Amino acid sequence: MVMSAEQTVERAQMPAQAKDTRPGIDWRGRALDRAPFLVACLMLALIVAIYGSLQSGVLSLDELNLDTAAAMTLMLAATGQTIVLLRGGIDLSIGGMISLGTVFAATRFTDDPSTTAFWALAILGLGFLIGALNGLLISLLKLQPFLVTLATWSILNGVAMIILPTDGGSVPGWWVGFASAQLLGLTSPVWMLLALLLFWWWFRATRAGITIQASGSNEKSAFLSGVSITRVNIVTYGLSGLFAAGAALFLITQTGAGSPTIGKDYILPSVAAAVIGGVSLFGGRGHLAGTLIGAFVLTLIGNLVFVLHVSSYWQPVASGVILLLSVLASSVAEKAARSRVQ
Amino acid sequence: MDLVTVNGLSKRFGGIVALSEAAFSARAGEVHALLGENGAGKSTFIQILSGAVKHDGGSILVDGQDYRPANPDDAQARGIAAVFQELSLIPDLSVEQNIWFRHEPQTMLGTVNRTQTRRNTLALLEKYDFPTLRPEQELRRLTLAERQIVEIAKGLAKNPRILILDEATSALPAREAEWLLKLTRQLAAEGRLVIFISHRMAEVRAIADRLTIFRNGSTVAAHEANTVSDDEIVTRMIGRHLDRLYPERVPTMTQRIALKVANLTSGSRLSGVDFSLREGEVLGVGGLQGHGQRELFQALFGATKAGGMIELWGKPAAIGNPRQALTGKDGIALVPEDRRGQGLLLTKSVRENLTLSVIRRFTENGLLSRQKEAALVKEMVDFLRIRAGTPEQLAGTLSGGNQQKVIFGKMLLTEARVLLLYDPTRGVDVGTKGEIFQLMRDLAAKGYAILFHSSDMPELVHVADRVLVMRNGRIAAALEGEHISEEGILRAAMLETRAA
Repeated sequence: MVMSAEQTVERAQMPAQAKDTRPGIDWRGRALDRAPFLVACLMLALIVAIYGSLQSGVLSLDELNLDTAAAMTLMLAATGQTIVLLRGGIDLSIGGMISLGTVFAATRFTDDPSTTAFWALAILGLGFLIGALNGLLISLLKLQPFLVTLATWSILNGVAMIILPTDGGSVPGWWVGFASAQLLGLTSPVWMLLALLLFWWWFRATRAGITIQASGSNEKSAFLSGVSITRVNIVTYGLSGLFAAGAALFLITQTGAGSPTIGKDYILPSVAAAVIGGVSLFGGRGHLAGTLIGAFVLTLIGNLVFVLHVSSYWQPVASGVILLLSVLASSVAEKAARSRVQ
Repeated sequence: MDLVTVNGLSKRFGGIVALSEAAFSARAGEVHALLGENGAGKSTFIQILSGAVKHDGGSILVDGQDYRPANPDDAQARGIAAVFQELSLIPDLSVEQNIWFRHEPQTMLGTVNRTQTRRNTLALLEKYDFPTLRPEQELRRLTLAERQIVEIAKGLAKNPRILILDEATSALPAREAEWLLKLTRQLAAEGRLVIFISHRMAEVRAIADRLTIFRNGSTVAAHEANTVSDDEIVTRMIGRHLDRLYPERVPTMTQRIALKVANLTSGSRLSGVDFSLREGEVLGVGGLQGHGQRELFQALFGATKAGGMIELWGKPAAIGNPRQALTGKDGIALVPEDRRGQGLLLTKSVRENLTLSVIRRFTENGLLSRQKEAALVKEMVDFLRIRAGTPEQLAGTLSGGNQQKVIFGKMLLTEARVLLLYDPTRGVDVGTKGEIFQLMRDLAAKGYAILFHSSDMPELVHVADRVLVMRNGRIAAALEGEHISEEGILRAAMLETRAA
């Protein structure tokens, strides 16, 4: 009787064993894994189709150049946010960093390219340092990323206000002109978009990228595998700060001035873009391509609201509905994927 | 010379002593079994060796040199790798990414060299004759057994001189377990030291050259494997200590069957459990941790889905959720294992905690009758001797033992007469433990039927009328009368060859 108990357990496990070791590619499983991303692509296609039916010349290079420029600040901010989400955290402080970045740039940039270049690099460096500090605080104080970055957001915001109480300052014309510079018919924002994808392709294949993802997937396992969680946090939030600073430097090409309050407009949209693009809020899963598509979706909704001639207050309503739909799609796919494993 | 020598090793976690005066020594080229009950300190010991936890005192020498790893990386640098029972794998990475995690071959660009990774993976899997694995598959799609195999591959990928296998066979089906035993011998033959932890005596017998036994955080014996009998090992593992903690066991059971369970099955954790519990009986549930005890209690309380048949007081019962379980005089009530998380609202008063789930009993015409409530609360506080200033004292401010009594009271007020007690004395002081045992016997005398699990084996031995021993999701043995002993329980839980 005792032996038969043993055998029953074995038999219960064997079929699963046989199923999973069967050679070949698990297409359905892969499709389910990518379902949130596919849903985001579908949404983008739908929005582009509606937009195209209301407005001529939507599928043109000009439109691509324009929309990418409009979306690039969010894309940069959301790239950092995606790295943090992959780690299983969240970074609210990017709002403060973006404001502070624009304020520094608008008060320090001059017509002298070398001074401006110095300050641009300094802002990027500052972004990384402040982010790294976030990471260090989260590790050392063992606090929630939400709380730590909420606090640093507030601090950075305050500092930006102290430096420049109201919107203003100025940015050299050649810096503003950067956003419309063209190469091979594509403006610099489109090239930046390609560069972001290239960066991601590289980053995700490096040990650092894999380690960040692993720490978000299962922190305890990562630690047991020898990962220094403190170092991971420093790098993760440092990169997020760096990208937020980059977003600030791009943003001033669009506004031509500094603003101590503008950053808050990017905090939640950066999370929303990632989530729409299929990045998991629980860490470990997601790709930048999805986030960038999410950023396009959020930006194009604005265009759509504009050509529909309805009140612009409908934009956040539509964004919210789309966010809900994509979260729903992810959770349905997640459940389907999980039930297959069982 | 010994490859590893440990002396006087100690470790505390807060107020709990996990290791004190642990000693260990092992040679290269041997399989060294580490034995002990749950909580004897084996896990802490290997966590220290593998760098996951730092020791407080004592010395570890590896190759005659002081060894004090700061983290798992340090341990790996010294050639020590652990295959954890609590797996160290990343769900969202592929099999091969997991195996080589942080040791991936790299390209000039700093990216992982995928072709090289694949080649290394296949070479490793082939060298040690691994069961089939698909290197590109994501880990979260794998079964538990396959994950365990990946964990083993990950340990071997570091080419360690010392490999620690922590109950690595427990998650494996027979064929794979056999493979692992063969692999273990192969590794020893290669001149490595394998530290092997298993609760299966037959496996230890089959492969261990030497063995070390832990009890209560200390080393109690070290032997050549072929010089000790199974009996001696078990005796060493449990030690001997008896005291008057336990009330006299007066049989109070009747012939009436309170709870009858047939073929209760849930996933792979419960596979066909049959037993019956009689009125006035305290029925113990024992066995090694993780053999289905938790799932059994949860299934009976409706917290986990399970197939099979449950009868309460002779009537079939459909228990789909805890609310149905609690219904009426024929219901089942549970004292859960995590009383702070599941049983008690710490920021509510003793009174509120007692009456929360039975508030209907004090309502008249839809209004709460404070007098009725107060009377019942007083009765319960007196009966259980809950030491609270007033019934309004917050539950969170009571001692662990008194908190446990409040949960008992809460359960008794439901009027259910089949009680499930899951480790009710965990974290309770010795004095209150005695009171709880007495209470259990008193309730049994009043006609309650009690199913009782404890992680502390002597409690089962001294309190229960009968003891069911679980192994691999089944009842491996039902012990009665003089057969109830720690040895009997451990034997039924561990020794494979003893057919009933």
